[in-house]
Amino acid sequence: MEKSKNHVEVETRGQFLSFSQIRRWPEFGVILAFLVLLTIFSIFSSNFLTLRNITGILTIVSELGIVAIGVAFLMIAGEFDLSVSSVYAFSGFLFVTLANKYNSPLAFIITLAIAAFIGFCNGIITLRARIPSFIATLGMMLFLRGSLLAVTGGESVSYSSDAIMPTLLTRFIGYGFRPSHIWFLALTLIFSIILTNTRYGNWVFATGGNREVARAMGVNTNKVKVTNFMLSALMASLSGCIVISRFNLANASFGTGMELEAIASAVIGGTFLTGGYGTIIGVFFGAFLMGMMRTGLVMIGAPAYWYQTFVGAILIIAATINLKLRHLEM
Amino acid sequence: MQEVTSLAKMVDIEKNFRAVQALKKVNLEIQPGEILGLLGDNGAGKSTLIKVLAGVFPPDGGKIFFEGEQVSFSSPKVARAMGIETVHQALSLVDIMSISRNFFLGREPTRRIGPIHLLDKKKMNEECEKTVTGLGVRVRSPNEFVSILSGGERQAISIGRAMHFKVKLLILDEPLAALSVRETREVLRQVEKARESGVSVIFITHNVYHVYPVAERFVMLDRGIKIGEVYKKDASPEDIIEIIATGKMSKTLKT
Repeated sequence: MEKSKNHVEVETRGQFLSFSQIRRWPEFGVILAFLVLLTIFSIFSSNFLTLRNITGILTIVSELGIVAIGVAFLMIAGEFDLSVSSVYAFSGFLFVTLANKYNSPLAFIITLAIAAFIGFCNGIITLRARIPSFIATLGMMLFLRGSLLAVTGGESVSYSSDAIMPTLLTRFIGYGFRPSHIWFLALTLIFSIILTNTRYGNWVFATGGNREVARAMGVNTNKVKVTNFMLSALMASLSGCIVISRFNLANASFGTGMELEAIASAVIGGTFLTGGYGTIIGVFFGAFLMGMMRTGLVMIGAPAYWYQTFVGAILIIAATINLKLRHLEM
Repeated sequence: MQEVTSLAKMVDIEKNFRAVQALKKVNLEIQPGEILGLLGDNGAGKSTLIKVLAGVFPPDGGKIFFEGEQVSFSSPKVARAMGIETVHQALSLVDIMSISRNFFLGREPTRRIGPIHLLDKKKMNEECEKTVTGLGVRVRSPNEFVSILSGGERQAISIGRAMHFKVKLLILDEPLAALSVRETREVLRQVEKARESGVSVIFITHNVYHVYPVAERFVMLDRGIKIGEVYKKDASPEDIIEIIATGKMSKTLKT
């Protein structure tokens, strides 16, 4: 009697698990969407699957994707960073200014250090003032952007320094490929390994999944959060330096709205808005999907305005699917 | 100076939250291999007291001794490293993480590849599966999410985890809340097994019938004050309820 009852329990659980197994491949949905869009665009535009177009997409995707990886890594730890777009523009400006005065490697290092400090401030403000990071970083976003506009008066600054960092970051290396593509791929791999294969990654999941449990189990959740805020700012800063090196020009309005594109990439890639779950590979494809849509829609003849419409629709669908799967899981 | 026999001893512990005095000079002592029932109504200070012992809150006054040495735990991590572990119904496992990731949370084994330390996932899965199966919890794989487990299974895994990491003092905070009758019996059996292997257990509950079958001594708290302490041989469950309800020891029980 007892035995048969156990058996039934296992059986019902078996059915339940089929959803659970999909859930543990959260890249599944985004890769599927990626392939569908790729097919559609390739059919409707003969120029879509050309090396030139692919590398062009990759350039945009890399710059967005690097920011999105940082944002997602922090989101998994349970916090938002809306200030990335401002950090991105601020870093670009600082990099150009410092490089014109000194040299580009020094400018790059100082820029990253200051960005890390901004991330540190985001973390400390969120944790000490106990306000939601959404608000704390929204404040930081407006504060930085406003300062930048005020100081520069909206004027652009041209890059007129050595070629060291631009070469390392974004100058063509053949067949349309750029170092930024390699940076993006490498950072995807590194962050993916950190998240799934290190102790720190386990603490990030736990901090976002249930902060109280994580703390009770001896995880220093504040340290994890501050570290991730810093990483998020660092990634945004790196991306800012890349984009400025590509344009040879810094403008205070660069990257406006990018924070939402980064969050959208993360959510489309399967990251939970509520924290505790997500994958970097998913974010990689999420960012790719965004970049592909931007180019693809233009290439199949749709006006560029439709880009946001499609991103909005896909974002809602992705978030809904995430939530449904989560409820099945619970 | 200190009795060598007690595993943990809390002397004159005080804890304030702003103007509220949560603990007023509370004393608590636990012997090796003993199951102690810590009882009291909601808001009596039971959880606060054990959180002080587990390093979650620093006490505002008083001393803590563990294995005869005076200790001060700056974080749960320090207390855990010394062998004090708390199992709480809602605060022991992360729902949206796998069983094995939960099992080793904060104590993940690593293997070295050059200068890099990576999670030893194989070891994590094997050890977790062995322990979990030994507890009679049937799961397909240690990679399953904790959220599919029942309350009793979670409790079993939490206690099993503490045992796996050689806990000396196991603190159970309302371990039977929301458990079915069968699950309750399973957890109680596990608690007795822990005691048999030499572990001391502090069992916190507001329901004396939960703890009476397994504990040999009971401490009662009320509004931050220790109002009584009795051995099982001296008091029935009804006597203990009477102490909690009235807030004082009846004359017949005082020795």
